[in-house]
Amino acid sequence: MELLVCIKQVPDDSVSVSLGADGAPKLDEIAPVVNAFDTYALEMAARFKEAHGGSVTVLTIGGDATVPALRSCLSVGADHAYKLAEESVCDTQGIAYLLSKASAKAGEQPFDVIFCGSESTDASSGQVGAQLAEILGIPVVTNVLAVEPREGGVTLKQETEEGYRVVEAPCPCVVTIVKPNYEPRYPSIKSKMAARKMPIGDLTAAGVEADAAQFGPEAAKVRRVAISAPPQRQSGVKIQEKEAAEAVRRAMEMLAGQKLI
Amino acid sequence: MNYQTLTPDLIQQLSAIAPGRVFTNGDINEDYTHDEMPIYGKAMPEAVVEAASTEEIAAVMKLCNEHCIPVTPRGAGTGLVGGAVAIHGGVLLVTTRMNKILNYDMENFTVTVQPGVLLNTLAEDASSKGLLYPPDPGEKFATLGGNVSTNAGGMRAVKYGCTRDYVKAMTVVLPTGEVVKLGSSVSKTSSGYSLLNLMIGSEGTLGIITELTLKLIPQPKETISLIIPYPDMESCIATVPSFFMHHLNPQALEFMGKDIVISSEAYVGKQVFPRKIDGVEAEAYLLVTFDGNDADELDAVIERASEVVLEAGAIDVLVADTPALKRDAWAARSSFLEAIMADTKLLDECDVVVPVTQIAKFLVYVDSLEESVGLKVRSFGHAGDGNLHIYCCSNDLEEDEFKARAEKFMEAVYIKATELGGQVSGEHGIGHGKVPFLAESVGEVNMRLMENIKKVFDPNLILNPGKVCYKL
Repeated sequence: MELLVCIKQVPDDSVSVSLGADGAPKLDEIAPVVNAFDTYALEMAARFKEAHGGSVTVLTIGGDATVPALRSCLSVGADHAYKLAEESVCDTQGIAYLLSKASAKAGEQPFDVIFCGSESTDASSGQVGAQLAEILGIPVVTNVLAVEPREGGVTLKQETEEGYRVVEAPCPCVVTIVKPNYEPRYPSIKSKMAARKMPIGDLTAAGVEADAAQFGPEAAKVRRVAISAPPQRQSGVKIQEKEAAEAVRRAMEMLAGQKLI
Repeated sequence: MNYQTLTPDLIQQLSAIAPGRVFTNGDINEDYTHDEMPIYGKAMPEAVVEAASTEEIAAVMKLCNEHCIPVTPRGAGTGLVGGAVAIHGGVLLVTTRMNKILNYDMENFTVTVQPGVLLNTLAEDASSKGLLYPPDPGEKFATLGGNVSTNAGGMRAVKYGCTRDYVKAMTVVLPTGEVVKLGSSVSKTSSGYSLLNLMIGSEGTLGIITELTLKLIPQPKETISLIIPYPDMESCIATVPSFFMHHLNPQALEFMGKDIVISSEAYVGKQVFPRKIDGVEAEAYLLVTFDGNDADELDAVIERASEVVLEAGAIDVLVADTPALKRDAWAARSSFLEAIMADTKLLDECDVVVPVTQIAKFLVYVDSLEESVGLKVRSFGHAGDGNLHIYCCSNDLEEDEFKARAEKFMEAVYIKATELGGQVSGEHGIGHGKVPFLAESVGEVNMRLMENIKKVFDPNLILNPGKVCYKL
């Protein structure tokens, strides 16, 4: 199957972000990384390809600053990478629109499954996958933990509040990925060196025949009006005992040690 | 020694020195009775004083010296050899309230701190200013006063050296209550005995550090870590000298066996290290970090390093080149001690240091003791500087039997380390847990010199009695 993984470059989510005097997040000193949910999506797509054949293409909206992220993807299972540089896009609907247009031009064959992270670790809107499917007029399955091929489509394990649900969807479809029970792989030195030499396809809004009226500031349906910092959390202690009884015993000990009980 | 016990009158005087911060009897937090290695026993001090200033500490020492009351200095209590445990009672003098970063000198690359500042706090604060405090002991929540008192080393010692190399000056309260300043911000000195260096690593037996001026360096812009799996420990360790022969200059170079990696990953809940690569089982790993200021140069370094290790028998080389991958790779390494403790009822540890070229031979010997002594052995360590952390563990034995076997194990380990040109401790110190082994290792004359130095600083032997060189 032909698999597309849409990725977003975000600030390293392990670094706490502060707001500048202008009220905007201060991101200059924070390393850009591939959104964690997108790395899970890529790992799932790479495993799918290794088990069932096909190829994996990664696609992002962004300029040259996204090249390290795309090379990183090429070193851990992606076969092809594309970026579409377009600075005027400013809401998820516009991003989804550009991705829909770019997905038709990236790669030689139509994609069977389009993987998106369930959300990004910066804006956390969780909208792009669903909006992309809407624009393309294809099914979307959200919160997916596993993908398996079936005749004419895929079988998906979906995470729900209560547990899991197994669903089927025809191809092409969009799936949004949550954290599976494995970690994204590390690149080997060989795959990293090979990724350095692989081409990265350049797309433009005009080149993919995108209508500026559909993605520019004028088209934006959602506008950010303010950002505020969350209240500071008090520091705590993590109890890591495996057994519940042992964890309770440890908690009691700590409380007693602090003369709280 | 004929130490005096604290009378109500003396406790009152202590309370006048540190109002509201003197604790006795049931008000003493149980955590103050031990450090992180409980096998060396617990001890309840008669009073805990949570000091807030040099002046308070000086007043406490003067009072205790006059009345021959033992005083045990303590930071965060993360030691592993009983160094901060009040084994002779008296006053436990805690410095954790003295936790302020006082000022940075951005022109001379120094920072002045109180002794209770945590390593992690300084590391993060310095990093936010584009600076690096190079010493990087595994326990990030130890105090800097404790780090200096044990000359703590850590992962980056292979490139940047130990804590000693970053101490420029300090304020110290002597056991008599006198306050002295040692060292200065100058770059070189030939001005008499280096009392500064004598104080570093003296484990709170010669004086109590109340202020520190530490050296910083510009933070390297780039770091990359490599996870290097090997089919066996021998080829893993045998690679280590190659890094230096090829001028690769790693920032950190750690070795670890498969078992401890599996335990630690289960503890942190994340599998990072590969178990099998192209059908070959990984039995041992090197975890290496390189740093620099240019990404392309660093890429060239890791390529050369990869050639070297693959040539030497590594199965593969995995690259941690994003913050998340680096964090995950090092999270497992940083949790080894906690993982061992979570899995083990009884354990004892040694942190011997041997010449890098002798690590393999030493580890083969240590592993052979597992059967002859009858204790489970777990080991890992700083391959780049020969500092090994070796644990003997048991979940089945009674404590007395465990202690007897552990003593036999430790004796054998230290004898072998000495024979190979090693030393008793690379970075944890001697405390009271390792005094006999130090005596055996350095010999009678060296011990006598140390004891006499101790007496010069502390004529009444009240400061941290029974530690390092003085078995009371």
